[in-house]
This record gives sequence, structure tokens and C-alpha cells, in this order.
Amino acid sequence: MARVLLKNVTKKFGNVIAVNNLNLEIKDGEFMVLLGPSGCGKSTTLRMIAGLETPTEGEIWIGDQLVNDIDPTKRNVAMVFQSYALYPHMTVFGNIEFPLRMAGVPKQERIKKVKEVAEFLGIADLLNRKPSELSGGQQQRVALARALVREPQVFLLDEPLSNLDAKIRTQMRFELKKLLSYELGITTVYVTHDQVEAMTMADRIAVMNKGILQQVGTPDEIFYKPKNTFVATFVGSPPMNLIEGSIVEKEGKILFETEYFSLQLPNDVPKAEEAILGFRPQHVEVSLAPKEGYVKGNLLGVEKLGVENYGHIGYGHLEIVVRLPEEIRVTRGEIYWKPQENRIYIFDPKTRRAIYG
Amino acid sequence: MTPKEREKLIRRIWIVITYVVLITFALVYLMPFIRSLVASFMTWAQASRYPPEWIPHPFTLENYEKLFRLELFPRWIRNTALYAGLIVAGNILFASMAGYAFARLKFPGRDAIFSALLSLLMIPMFVTLVPNYIIIYKLGLIDNIFGLSLLGLTNVSSIFLMRQYFMSLSNEIFEAARLDGCGPIKAFFYIALPLARPALGAVAVYQFLGSWNAFIGPLIFLRSPENFTLPVGLSFAFQRSMWTEYTPIIAGSLVASAPTIILFLVLNKYLIRGIVITGGKG
Repeated sequence: MARVLLKNVTKKFGNVIAVNNLNLEIKDGEFMVLLGPSGCGKSTTLRMIAGLETPTEGEIWIGDQLVNDIDPTKRNVAMVFQSYALYPHMTVFGNIEFPLRMAGVPKQERIKKVKEVAEFLGIADLLNRKPSELSGGQQQRVALARALVREPQVFLLDEPLSNLDAKIRTQMRFELKKLLSYELGITTVYVTHDQVEAMTMADRIAVMNKGILQQVGTPDEIFYKPKNTFVATFVGSPPMNLIEGSIVEKEGKILFETEYFSLQLPNDVPKAEEAILGFRPQHVEVSLAPKEGYVKGNLLGVEKLGVENYGHIGYGHLEIVVRLPEEIRVTRGEIYWKPQENRIYIFDPKTRRAIYG
Repeated sequence: MTPKEREKLIRRIWIVITYVVLITFALVYLMPFIRSLVASFMTWAQASRYPPEWIPHPFTLENYEKLFRLELFPRWIRNTALYAGLIVAGNILFASMAGYAFARLKFPGRDAIFSALLSLLMIPMFVTLVPNYIIIYKLGLIDNIFGLSLLGLTNVSSIFLMRQYFMSLSNEIFEAARLDGCGPIKAFFYIALPLARPALGAVAVYQFLGSWNAFIGPLIFLRSPENFTLPVGLSFAFQRSMWTEYTPIIAGSLVASAPTIILFLVLNKYLIRGIVITGGKG
């Protein structure tokens, strides 16, 4: 078990900067999720920790060892690939045994360890099958077993759930977390573009975009204290509403003004000629009748997701999404809304950074 | 006639046309084989008659008898088998290693070397015949099956086929092997080679067919009759100073082609896969 430290790590492919000056520490035993859209550099970062890519600049430390020049065969990190990358010509037993065989572990011990880990993951009855005879979920477990069997210092997972169907994915999500964090306590780096996976599994999340680390924090920090508009909109579903306008003081009140409406904000919000107001669809109060401080809007339509319904409210080019309380059943017409005061964010339109909230 | 019946009729006519064309071409390609089969039971006088006759009269087994009366016939078969065996073994060993290196390893000049190798395909065999002869002569290996085999132990098209196959394998499997503690050489033996069985099968079949039937190489590099391979031996045995006895040669080539025909029937899926491999990803 070990911590992983990335110091000023940059990776260039020709002229493309895949990872730009990344600094990140993954603590001993921590479950770190690298989250971001495709092409954000999260997989490249993972591959650099594994040693499959060499950083153009910077240092990568595993434990107390600088590993930049250490071959992946000697790093003692294990990785689960998106495609699982099982060896198709070997049985499940052969697959799990393989890293031990390569490490020169004696045969009796190998058999014992493979059986142990297979038992642990509930695949002991599959040991004689070939990977092609397994379901996606079973292949996934074999890939996990192969990675776990040699007790790696660091455990790397590259979108391991994306090839599973929705039901098994939800189930495996919790199982993986339980296994890696609660039962084994292995230092884990998990790459995903799925924010639900990130939120449910991570001890901490590192959000990346275009090769640049946007924010590192616990799921709560990422959700409730986003540092910029990218994090604010990437995490959370539906994404946070962002509205451009200005913040002015009138008759002792702080108001957020757009060409369509004005909205009263808490008194400690700083004034700004240009600002972006942000609030999540879940943090809005909605009413069918006019109320003091509520903004009138025209409901364009409703997305029904079962328990939750989201209304789209239109203002010219601008569209706002709000969660509708269960008792509101209308799908069109006039509606009144107001964001909860303690759940609003103000971003600087130039730097896109949060300045309030 | 209803439109449906019309459609059916048109389809039927098309099928008939397709079959007629296919059968015609099949006959064209089969003709030499059928002709050899028939001629092998004829006397030379009848076989050389014009216009050609198709029914052996008198029916004779003399050609086959002549063939099996040849003292060196079993020896030639053994030589041919040895030659083919060496060529197949050499190609499997060297082409798989070279193909793996070109597909999976990174080394300076890799693509340039590979292009240079490919350009060798454009050089006709006859151009390199004399230099090759000189090399083998200097090595003192003229008139020696091993010397002859040395020239064919590896082959650009085998390397190309193996490289294409290794490139078509998933990268992630090799990366997984690397993380499991497998260097490039271990990865070759534990991962690449077992996965390459279809491609190795294709290389083996092609090389076997090529070397079993080879004529020019053995003709030039082998001298004494006891070292001949079957194709050279047959033409040697029945060539007289003024004329050639073709009918025993024909019988001999039929006997000689038996293993290749059996091999083709048993392994033709590998042959086809070989074509698919090279034609697929480029």
C-alpha cells in the first residue's frame, strides 16, 4: 500500500498537451476518482501512473520511490482495463495465476492464492472456463481477481463499469467500493466520465478538463463548493443553471438583473457589472401562484424521470431547468420560481471562477 | 403471369446463369488436372496424339509402375518432406519473431526497415538467384538440402502476414501483460504466440505448398540425383536426350500433389484466414 504523488506532470503527444502541469496527491488507502469528459487527460494520467506512458515533464512518486524510469513490469501497480483485457487463450485460473507466475511464485502458493481470491470474489466455480464463456459481469470479476491476486501497492481502474449493462453497473459500483475501500483499503485511482460513479464511490474526486486539473475535493466539496463553472456544470444532473447578468444595489437590496427578470440575492453578494448566477435545478422553490420575490416564467415542457420531474422555463434564448415538486402536475403555462438563498453561486464571467457560494 | 411469379422466374434465370458461368470457369481450371488424371493411364503414343483423346485406350498402369520402379522415388519423397519441413519450421520461427518485433516493439528505424523488407517483394526471384548461388557455393552447401533450405527459412510475405496479425490483436492485452510483470520476450511466448495460432497455421500451409512444389530452386542448387526433391527428380528420371517421357512424369506429379491436396482439404480454413488477415487491417 502506498500513496501516489504527481508533481508538475505534463504529457505531450506531438503538439497536443494531454496533461498540463498536474499536481495531485493520492493518499495511502484513498479511493481517488479522476473525473472528466473524454479527452480530458484522465486516462493518460492513469497510464502514466501505470508506466504505460512516460511523462514529458514532472515526477511521479509511488510510496517513497520516484518511478519515472521504472518499467511497468516492476512498479507493482495493477490495472483493470475498460475491455478487461483478459487473456483469451487461458482459463480463468490461468488468467488469475498469470501475474504470480511472472513473479516466480512457487506453484503450490499460486494455487492457494488464486483459490483464495476467486473465493473472495465469488468466481471459484468458474476457474476452468475460458473468458469467452463468461458474462460481462463475470469477466469483470476475473479482471479484478487478476489485479488483486498479487496484492499491488496501487490499484488502477480505467472505466471498468462502462461495458456493463445499467443494472449490473449499479450493483458493481457499490461492490467495488466496498471491496477496495472498506475491506482491503488499497490506494485506488479510478477513471470515469460518469459523475454518478464518481460521487458514489470516491473518497476524493479530481475533476479534469482539457488536461488541466479543475478541482480536487470530497464529493460534497465538488458538489456544493464548485470552484468554477466547468465543475459546477459537469457534476450534477441536470447540470447547474448558469445565467449571465449584473449584480446591482437598489433601495438597499442586492439584485441580480438580466434583460428578462430581476432577482433578489442575499445582502453579502458582492456587486459586479458582469456576473454569472448559478443554481442547481434541485435548489429552487417553485409555485403556481405569484409569490413575493419569485420570478415569473413560462413553462416550456416537463421531463419526467419517475420520482423527479424537471421543468424547462424559457426566456428568449435562455432556458432554466428546475425540479418541480411532486404536487405540481402542470406541463405548460405560467410558473413562479426562486433559487434557495443559501444555494446560489456567483461566477466571474472572465475567469469562470466562483466568487461567491 | 403475376408479378410475383415473374420475379421468381427472373431469379431462377439468374441462378442458372450464375451456375453456368461458375461451372464453365471451374471446368477451365479443372481441365489440366482432369487431363493429367486421364493421361496418366494412357500410353505416351496415345497421350501425345492430336486432336487429344479423352478415353485411355488401352488402359494402362505402366506409368505408375515405372514410377514405383524408380529406386530413388522414396528418397525423393523423403528429401521433399525434409525440405518442406525445414522451410515450414524456419518460417514459423523467424516470421513470428520478426512479425512480433515489427508490430509490437518500438525501435529506431522500425518502419523504414519494414518498408525496405516489403520492397523485396518486388524483386523477382531470378534476380537474386546468382548471388544466392554464390553465397551457398562459398558456404560449401551446394547439392545439400540444408543449403537449399537456408534460402527459404524466412520469407517477406510470412513476416508481413504475422505482423498484420499481431497488429490486429488488442493493445490492452499486451499492456495488461506488461503490468502483470511480462517483458516483451515473455509476452511473445506467453501471449502473442499462443494467440497467433491461426496466422501460424496459414504461414505453415502456404510455405508447405510452396516448398513441396518448388522446382527452380532445387533444380539449381541440387546436383546429385539422390539429393533431388520430387519435382526435380521426376523430370530428371524421364528426360531422355532427345525427348521426354511425359506420361510417367504426369503420374508422378499426381502422386506428388496428393499430400498438398489433402492438406488443402483439411486446412483450407487457415488458407482463407491467411488471406483475410493480410487483406484486413493495413
